[in-house]
Amino acid sequence: MPAPAATYERIVYKNPSEHHYMKVHLEFQDHGIGLNAAQFKQLLISALKDLFGEVDAALPLDILTYEEKTLSAILRICSSGLVKLWSSMTLLGSYKGKKCAFRVIQVSPFLLALSGNSRELALN
Amino acid sequence: MVRFKHRYLLCEVVSDDPRCRLSLEDRVLGGLVRDTIARVHGTFGAAACSIGFAVRYLNAYTGIVLLRCRKEFYRLVWSALPFITYLENKGHHYPCFLNTLHVGGTIRTCQKFLIQYNRRQLLILLQNCTDEGEREAIQKSVARSCLLEEESAGEELSDSGGEEAAEAME
Repeated sequence: MPAPAATYERIVYKNPSEHHYMKVHLEFQDHGIGLNAAQFKQLLISALKDLFGEVDAALPLDILTYEEKTLSAILRICSSGLVKLWSSMTLLGSYKGKKCAFRVIQVSPFLLALSGNSRELALN
Repeated sequence: MVRFKHRYLLCEVVSDDPRCRLSLEDRVLGGLVRDTIARVHGTFGAAACSIGFAVRYLNAYTGIVLLRCRKEFYRLVWSALPFITYLENKGHHYPCFLNTLHVGGTIRTCQKFLIQYNRRQLLILLQNCTDEGEREAIQKSVARSCLLEEESAGEELSDSGGEEAAEAME
């Protein structure tokens, strides 16, 4: 008995997440410099504006969490702007005359992936 | 084959002030476009667009400007043109804007478009003009351009477009 004809449907997802999440840490050459959340965001936007101009300084960038003591934050950026944000953070050299650098710890299209980091895993 | 490909942006400088077009100079306009690209697209945009950038043709009477840029970055240049709001020359400040008429791959295609555009503009001017003397002058220009169009159906005229445009605005 011939089998009934089967219908196939192929669904392709090409990167369904529109946002990318980055865990970053700002490191200064001298210690003892603090920034609040607004100043941190202003620093990021001015880095984007220097390298990519006013059009890309207006990219929808959000700071989801910010810790003032460790100067580390979790950022959210739309996927098309990830490369621009990352490259402008790389090329940022100073804040108000003081040398600093951004260390990118983790990047992921899913926020849940940033909750655990196998580098900081403590094995007992 | 292997060559650098360019895009030519044909733009028109539109302004309320009639002195604005007369004070157009290629270096002034080139500097203005470069500054605007640096403001809108940052150091990356300024560097990317300024490699092959040049002002190829400028007509002070009609306000037509032909800008050249590399094919990979012509969209950066094109998107920065609406941010030009004024023209500054010798201390005079004129508000104006750049209207992009055509984007072409070669100067020849832009010239063909400019010839057709000027013919249409002549007819529009004919409808809108009020003075009898002006009306006769425009009608003569229209008749001459129709004759030139029939002549060039067989051969290619290289400089008639630019000359027509200059004569039409006198």
